[in-house]
Amino acid sequence: MNFQIADFTRLIPEFLILAIAALVLLGDVLTRWSKGKESLAERTGEAIAMTLMGLGLAFVMVLIQGGFFSWVQIGDWKFYNFSIFQNLRTSGLDGSILGGAFVVDPLTHIGRLIFIGAAFVTVVLTGKAKPSNNPAEFYALILFATLGMIFMTAGGELIMIYLGVELTSIPLYVLAGYFRRDPVSTEAGAKYYIFGALSSAILLFGMSLLLGLTLMNGQTMNATPTSLSSVKTAVELAFANPEGPSQGVAILGLLFILAGMAYKVAIVPFHAWSPDVYQGAPTSMTAFISTASKTAGFFLLYRVLVTSFDAPSIMGTAAIGVPTSFGGWTSLVAILASVTMLVGNLAALPQTNAKRMLAYSSIAQAGFLMLGLVGTQRDSSVSFLMYLVAYTVTNLVAFGILAVVEDNVGGTDFSNLNGLGRRSPGLTLLLTVAVLSLAGIPPLSGFFVKFYVFIAAWQEGAKWLVIFAVSNTVISLYYYLRFLKAVYFAPAETEEPIKVGFGPGIVMTALTLLIFGLGIVPTWLYGVLEQATIRIGAR
Amino acid sequence: MHLIESLPAGIPYLSLIWLVPLLGALVIMFLPKEQKQAMRIISAVVATISFGLGLLVFFAYDPNAAGYMGTKMQFVEKLDWVPQLGMSYLVGADGISLPLIVLNGLVIFTGTFISWNIEDRVKEYFVLLLLLVVGVYGVFMALDLFLMFVFYELAVLPMYLLIGIWGSTRKEYGAMKLTIYLMVGSAALMIGMVAIYVVGGTFNMVELSQRVFSLEFQKIFFLPVFVGFAVLAGMFPFHTWSPTGHVAAPTAVSMLHAGVLMKLGAYGALRAALWLMPNGAQFWLPGIAVMTLMNVVYGASIAMVQKDFKYVIGYSSVSHMGLVMLALASMNETALNGAVMQMFAHGVMTALFFAVVGRMVYERTHTRQLPELGGLMKVMPFAFVVFIIASLSSMGMPGTAGFMAEFTIFTGVMNQYPLVAVVAALSIPITAAYVLRVGYMAFMGEVKDPHYHDLPPLTWQEKFSGTVLAIVVIGVGLFPSIIMDYIATGVQPIAQRMIDLAGR
Repeated sequence: MNFQIADFTRLIPEFLILAIAALVLLGDVLTRWSKGKESLAERTGEAIAMTLMGLGLAFVMVLIQGGFFSWVQIGDWKFYNFSIFQNLRTSGLDGSILGGAFVVDPLTHIGRLIFIGAAFVTVVLTGKAKPSNNPAEFYALILFATLGMIFMTAGGELIMIYLGVELTSIPLYVLAGYFRRDPVSTEAGAKYYIFGALSSAILLFGMSLLLGLTLMNGQTMNATPTSLSSVKTAVELAFANPEGPSQGVAILGLLFILAGMAYKVAIVPFHAWSPDVYQGAPTSMTAFISTASKTAGFFLLYRVLVTSFDAPSIMGTAAIGVPTSFGGWTSLVAILASVTMLVGNLAALPQTNAKRMLAYSSIAQAGFLMLGLVGTQRDSSVSFLMYLVAYTVTNLVAFGILAVVEDNVGGTDFSNLNGLGRRSPGLTLLLTVAVLSLAGIPPLSGFFVKFYVFIAAWQEGAKWLVIFAVSNTVISLYYYLRFLKAVYFAPAETEEPIKVGFGPGIVMTALTLLIFGLGIVPTWLYGVLEQATIRIGAR
Repeated sequence: MHLIESLPAGIPYLSLIWLVPLLGALVIMFLPKEQKQAMRIISAVVATISFGLGLLVFFAYDPNAAGYMGTKMQFVEKLDWVPQLGMSYLVGADGISLPLIVLNGLVIFTGTFISWNIEDRVKEYFVLLLLLVVGVYGVFMALDLFLMFVFYELAVLPMYLLIGIWGSTRKEYGAMKLTIYLMVGSAALMIGMVAIYVVGGTFNMVELSQRVFSLEFQKIFFLPVFVGFAVLAGMFPFHTWSPTGHVAAPTAVSMLHAGVLMKLGAYGALRAALWLMPNGAQFWLPGIAVMTLMNVVYGASIAMVQKDFKYVIGYSSVSHMGLVMLALASMNETALNGAVMQMFAHGVMTALFFAVVGRMVYERTHTRQLPELGGLMKVMPFAFVVFIIASLSSMGMPGTAGFMAEFTIFTGVMNQYPLVAVVAALSIPITAAYVLRVGYMAFMGEVKDPHYHDLPPLTWQEKFSGTVLAIVVIGVGLFPSIIMDYIATGVQPIAQRMIDLAGR
């Protein structure tokens, strides 16, 4: 229950991020403190450099802690071997710490890598943005949000989860509305805040219902009443007695948690905030919000559902027909998935702004992703997590390229993309790869994961959902091809080449190679993800 | 001793065939964009090498020897890909795939020369063209359903850009229509593949072909797999993308598109649908045979009334591919032999057609409207000669490749559905009529436009490509056994399995 000194080592990445955030803020004060143009540039540069270093350090730390580095003995010689391609070791620094509030397991390691990586890319992308009033705030807030996402993923009990959600959301509200003088950005921030606050309240209400349930069942003797395992026991007890009143409470609690998280990850019908926020926020922040924050939300949802609600009577099935019957939360997820992908795809069709279209595409992608959540068998879980990884990488590239274009051309409408193929062939190639990956074209990662979730959902019996989803991929192709149409077919207004900064260029290229890598050799992620699902208890 | 035994072992011949164009595409990608001539030469070189490798494998194949896992598959290469999902990199070639591999090599070989005059964005053009070819090669040699699908999509997508950037007449519309249609097809296919995997536990088609799926399963899932591929083969009522796409595409792409890409559809339907689910085929195909009549007769009739030269050829492809689908639907060995033969024959012939229409005529006259053409025989006699050779093959004249193919098809169909065969035979006079009509309108008579006398002469690249294709049309027509023997050994196991499992 108490904090032990051994726990400290398991939290090193988090402490590191916290310390860097503090340093970034402090360093800003110590740098030439003035509002002059030169001074602002210097302060921005300093904040970026420090943030990048901190994130890089934390990333390496997670790699080490996750067991991606290992000793290899050959004869008398010991080699330090870097084995990110291999499975996570099951030993190492895993375990539930802080009385089970913070779970360090492969899922957490993967989450850390994704969030820290996404934050790194985001910070690199901001490089060309104009320095603003107090640049350090911006970067410190990114770091705080990253920290919150890790807590969301690692949270093993309700209060920690809630704190994680808030720690993620509040910095993101500010970041979305960061361009204070731009009404669109302000609107994005305000909208995000109001919707976010509402969803937090709903989430909290669901949690309080579940807490009431655990306390009512007297499960407090040996376990923390808010821990996910206590919730599991209480919920299963409630379901064991269908006549009693507590089953209704359990269902309500689950529904509220689902609804609250559905807001955060923009699932239809709780999606209305996301296109406005995505469009209004600074593009680099959109990249961050649409990838890391969404992934964190889904990781949280996954952990909660699989840990606490995985009894067959609660899960039900999304399959239609005899002998199984449609019901349980999996069927709810299946319905939400189908509605989400349909609405996201149809709404994306008429958009004229590329950023807004990608926002709707992100909604649709969440729908496809949820095909991996209609069951908790091995393939479902692995495909679900793999989809999140692939989606994060791909969306980062897509929004990242838009950010670069916006910096150079001044907008993200499709007309701004016209003729990009002539102005910057390299950039266009990267954008093409990202968009085709989102559309699910082989051999890119987006195709493999889509195919994999289809297989998984089919195995879970949700055949209708797979057929529906496959038809949706055709719809989605139409609007993804509009990107290619703009960049390749439409004539350019000017032939003037676009300058891509060194940092964004390198990062985008690396991520694009990753899109290829994940698509062509998906096996190297398989081991890690399988380990994660085993440890979390998926069947 | 057969040639296969004298080849050095341990070389992945089949993989090299598709790796060479891929490598070429990568090299071209990193060339500076001013080096247009270098790009053309590299493209021609890799096309030649892969064509040569294809021929080598073709002649080294031993039709009498047993191959991989009791099939006739030779040159098999297998690598684990995603073992957790039963996916592997498994390629092999048999009597069906070999002629098609050679066909693809031939069309890209000639297509590269035909594309010599592309000046706009040369780099992107050749990269996409070679990627397209990689995809086509892959489909013809893949023995793993997933691998096949990956290559299939790789073959489809470059078409969108190739048509949209370098095309003519309503190119964006044609490109989008083509892509959406084909993606609808691949969506259906995807459902079938998922179902097959979940029941069969692997994507290895050789393994899958050795187990028998339940009757109910075959009846349900034959249709998505077959139709998914048939869309690409231009089956009625999913054919309209094909003429539109043909017309909009640049010449070499039309050649590849009509010449080999549509064969992917027929090949896939044969390999994945008929081979794996013969009972499903027996359940559905009689109905589909009637549908293909629409292709054969209606397609030919539409070709008759077109004003645009390229549309005539486009609809003739619909009609001829309809014959292939009809032959597949007849399911007996003779008809299947004819189907594969027709794939080859039509591929060469239609590539020749498009080379004449798209490059030799349209690039000079800048019109394809038949009433505006006329008398071209006087201006470009070479084009006229090769056009007539292609026409004769199209009509099924003895001595050309088309004769052997159509004769075999009609024999096979006659055994299965006599009435259908009679109706389908109507297409022969119609074909003769429209081919002679366009030949007459475009080439005979007085020179319509005096400017035509000043047209630039044909380049050596055009003449070379035309000659090679014409030689193949006649050569295969005179010596059909060169490929007929191969085809028969490839088709026989599929037809045998059809008979073994009949009446379950």
